[in-house]
Amino acid sequence: MYSHDLIIVGAGLAGMRAAVEAVKAGVNVAVISKVHPLRSHSCAAQGGINAAINPKDSWESHAYDTVKGSDFIGDEDAIELMCKEAGNAVLEMDRMGTPFSRLEDGLIAQRPFGAASFDRTCYAADRTGQVLLHTLWEQLVKAGVQVYEECQILKISEVDGQVAGVVAYDIKKGEVFGIQAKVTLLCTGGYGRVFLTSTNATASTGDGMALAYRAGATLADMEFVQFHPTGLRYSGILVTEGARGEGGYLINDEGDRFMTKYAPNKLELASRDVVARAEQTEILEGRGRDGAIFLDLRHLGAKKINERLPQVRQLARDLEGVDPVYTPIPVRPTAHYSMGGIRTDKYGATILPGLWAAGESACVSVHGANRLGGNSLLDTIVFGYIAGRELGDKLGGMDMPTLPESEVQGVKDQISELMDRPDKGVRPASIRERLGEAMNSYVSVFRHPDNIQKASDLIPTLRQDLTTMHLDDKSKVFNVDLLRALEMQNLVDLAETIIAGAMNRTESRGAHSRVDFPDRDDENWRKHTITKWDNDAQTTAFSYEAVRTVGKDAYKPAVRSY
Amino acid sequence: MSDQVYTLRIQRNTRRDDGTMDTKWDEFQVKATPLTPVLNLLEDVKGNQDGSLTFRQSCRSAICGSCAMRIGGKTRLACKTQIGEVVDENNTVQITAQQNSPVIKDLAVDITKFFSKVHQIKPFLQEGSESAEEVDDTAFDQVNHVTQCIMCACCYSDCTMAEVSDEFVGPAALAKAFRFISDPREGKKSDRLKVLSNDHGIWSCARCTMCVAVCPKDVKPMEAIVKLRTRAMDAGNMDNYGAKHAQAFHGDITSSGSLNEALILNRTLGVVGALGEMGAALHLAKKGKIPSPFPHKIENLDEVQAIYNELEKNPLDVETKAENAVPE
Repeated sequence: MYSHDLIIVGAGLAGMRAAVEAVKAGVNVAVISKVHPLRSHSCAAQGGINAAINPKDSWESHAYDTVKGSDFIGDEDAIELMCKEAGNAVLEMDRMGTPFSRLEDGLIAQRPFGAASFDRTCYAADRTGQVLLHTLWEQLVKAGVQVYEECQILKISEVDGQVAGVVAYDIKKGEVFGIQAKVTLLCTGGYGRVFLTSTNATASTGDGMALAYRAGATLADMEFVQFHPTGLRYSGILVTEGARGEGGYLINDEGDRFMTKYAPNKLELASRDVVARAEQTEILEGRGRDGAIFLDLRHLGAKKINERLPQVRQLARDLEGVDPVYTPIPVRPTAHYSMGGIRTDKYGATILPGLWAAGESACVSVHGANRLGGNSLLDTIVFGYIAGRELGDKLGGMDMPTLPESEVQGVKDQISELMDRPDKGVRPASIRERLGEAMNSYVSVFRHPDNIQKASDLIPTLRQDLTTMHLDDKSKVFNVDLLRALEMQNLVDLAETIIAGAMNRTESRGAHSRVDFPDRDDENWRKHTITKWDNDAQTTAFSYEAVRTVGKDAYKPAVRSY
Repeated sequence: MSDQVYTLRIQRNTRRDDGTMDTKWDEFQVKATPLTPVLNLLEDVKGNQDGSLTFRQSCRSAICGSCAMRIGGKTRLACKTQIGEVVDENNTVQITAQQNSPVIKDLAVDITKFFSKVHQIKPFLQEGSESAEEVDDTAFDQVNHVTQCIMCACCYSDCTMAEVSDEFVGPAALAKAFRFISDPREGKKSDRLKVLSNDHGIWSCARCTMCVAVCPKDVKPMEAIVKLRTRAMDAGNMDNYGAKHAQAFHGDITSSGSLNEALILNRTLGVVGALGEMGAALHLAKKGKIPSPFPHKIENLDEVQAIYNELEKNPLDVETKAENAVPE
C-alpha cells in the first residue's frame, strides 16, 4: 500500500499542470497514468489555446463567445474564471519553455478559430498540444514528481462517503496495489472510444469518469458529445480547426462551398456543432462522396501549409493518401470531445469528499452544450492549475483516510474471475465494435428517438456479454487483453449515460440535435443533466441542476447565429 | 483500392520465470488495402484472431510515440506505416520489437532505459545567467525542428552506437539537449555543453545517419549532434578526445589535404593514450596496415583550402523549418 497526500490520476495536461502547482506548495504528490506521460492524448491537440493576450482583445469578449458557444448552458462563473486566467496560463507555459509560434515583434502568434470574435488562439504550428505536453512533462521531471507509469486505476475507493484513494494495476508487472490519499484528483480525459470512429486515442476510454460514477460521484451533461467537423474519412484522425482558421474551405462533391448556406457570416469558422450539422446534411442529401465532404487547402499554397499545418499535411498523406497541397482532404464529422463529465464546482471538487476532477474528464462546466475550438487546452491548463493551487492550500489541514486492504483484494478477485473464465464468450473487441457502431449510427450528429432507442436496447445485451467475454491472454505481464476487457466495462457504463441523457433531453442545443425537437427550449431545458449510478436499481438515476449564472444581460440566451 | 491478403510474420516474445526470453514466430493473414496502416492490421489480429498479441499504441496519428517497432527491418511507427510500402514480393512483412531496449513481451519493450537517457540530459529549461530577456520571431528557428520529437525511440532502436554501448546517451536525448541549448530562454548553455562533451555524449555518435533515416518526425537527431559539437568546441570544450580528434582532422586536411593516420591517434589520445593502443598498432603493422608517418601534400591543396574558407564563412545549416517537403 502506497500513500500520498495527493494522487493525480492521468498525466495529460490537466494532471501534470495540477502536479506542478501542488508540488510548489510542498505537497506529497504522485501521478499515476496508464501510459507514459508523453503518450497522453493531450499531445494530439493541434490547433491551439485561447487567451485574450492582445490589448485589443478582452477576457470579457472571450467569455461572451464561450457562453454563446456553449448554447447558454455553460456555467457563467466558471467560464469567467477560465477566461480571466487564460492570459496568465499561456504566459506561464511560455515561461516554462513552450515554443509558441511568434510574430515578428516576438509576441506569441494567434490565429482565428471557430465562433471567436477575435483571433485569440495561441499556437505552435499545428502541434500545440504536443509542445505543451512536453513542456509540462519537463517541469514534472524537474520537480521530481513520482509517476506510477503504465499503471491503470481499476477502482476509486469510497469508504463511508469519503474517497480514500485508488486501487491500481501495474501493467508491466501484473500486480494490484492500493494508493491511499487525502485527495484523488482525476484527470483521465475523454471517452472517445465509446464511438467506433473518433479522433481520440485508443487510451481514451473514460476510465476516471466511469469509476467516479461507480464510486458515487455525479456525471453532468453526458449527452453533449462534440463531433469535430474535420476528422479524416477513414481513421477519424483529427484535422485541426486551424486548417479552416488559416483559410481552408469546406466543399461538397459538387465543389460548392456549402457553408455559405448554413452560416453566411462566419462560414467555415462557425461553431463546431453548426459546421458538423451542415456537413452531415450535405452528406445525407447526397452531395458527399463515400460518406465524406472535403476540406480544401489548395489555395493556401505549399509554403503556408508547410509552415502552419505540416502535421496535417503529413497525416493526410499517410492516412488518406492525398496531399492537401494538390487535393482536397476527405473529412467528416467525427466524435471528438466530451462536454460532459464528472460534475465539479468551479475549483474541481466533486460531491464526494476527497474526489476532485479536472480537464476533459470533468464537467465544470465551461463548455456547456458545445465547446469552442482552442478552449479545451485552456480548460486543462487553467483548471489543472486551479485544482493544484487549491489542493496545495487545503491538503495540510486534511486527515489521511485509510484505504482498506479489502478494496485491493476486491480488485484482485475481479481480475482472477476474468482470467479464469472459459473461452466461451466473445472477445472484448466484439463488444467494442457493436457498441461503437451503434453509437456511431444512432447517437451522433442528428439524433432520432427511434435510433436512440435502438442503441439503448443494445445495452442489456452488451452487459450480458461483459459477464461472459473471455481473454486470450492469461499471462501476468503486460496483459493488454485484460486491460481492454476492464475498459469495456467503463465504456458501456458511459455509453448508457450518453444514450439516456440524449433520450431525455427533448430539445436541440449545441451538439445535441434531436430531429423531433429541432429548437432550443430554454424554458424547460436550460439546465444540466445530472446522472448518478443507482447501485440498488443497477441503473442510471437522473436529476437536473440549474445553470450557474452571474446576472449579466449579455449572457442572456439569444438566438445563436454565425 | 481493392483488398489484398497480407501476411504479418510477428516475433512473439515471452519472458520465462528465470528471466530468459522464449521467442517464436507467428504468422497471421489479414485483408487490407495497400494504404492501411500496419497498426490497424495488428489491431485486427488482436481483436479477431489472437487477443494475446501484445504491442503498445495509442493516438493512431504519429504524435504520441507509443507504437515504435521494427517493421520490415527498420524501426517505424506502426500507425504511420502503410502495409503496401513494407511487404516483400510475397506480401509478407516481418515485425519485431525495438532494439537496444529489453523486451517485456511480444512487441512491447521496457522504455525505462530509453527515458533514463533523456532524464540524464536534464530535459527542462533551466534558470541561469545565460537566459535572454527577449525573444524575437526567429528565436525558435533552431528549436522548432527538434521539438517535433515525440520520444518514440525509433532512433534509439536503430542507433548503431547504442547497439555497442549501453552508456551512449543516444540520438533522441542529444536532440533534446540541443533543443535547450538553442533556446534563448535557457540559462545554463555552457554547463550543458561541458557535460555533453564528456564520455558517452556528443562525441560518441558515429554519424551513421540511421537516426536521421528512421525518424518518423523528421527531427534529424544527428544534425543536432553535429551542431552541438561545433557549439561545444566554440565554447572552449577542447579537452576531450572527440574535440581533439576533430581538431587533428581539421589540421591535417587544411595543411596537407590528407589525413596522417599514423599520427592522428597520438594527437587524439596523447602519447600515453596512444601507447595504450600499442597492441592494436603492432597487430596492424603485422598486416601492413600502418601508413607512413610522413605527411604528403596533395595536389591542388589550395582548392581544398578554398572550400574550407568558404564553409567557415558560410556554415552549412540543416533545415530548421519544415518547409521543403515537396513530394516527388
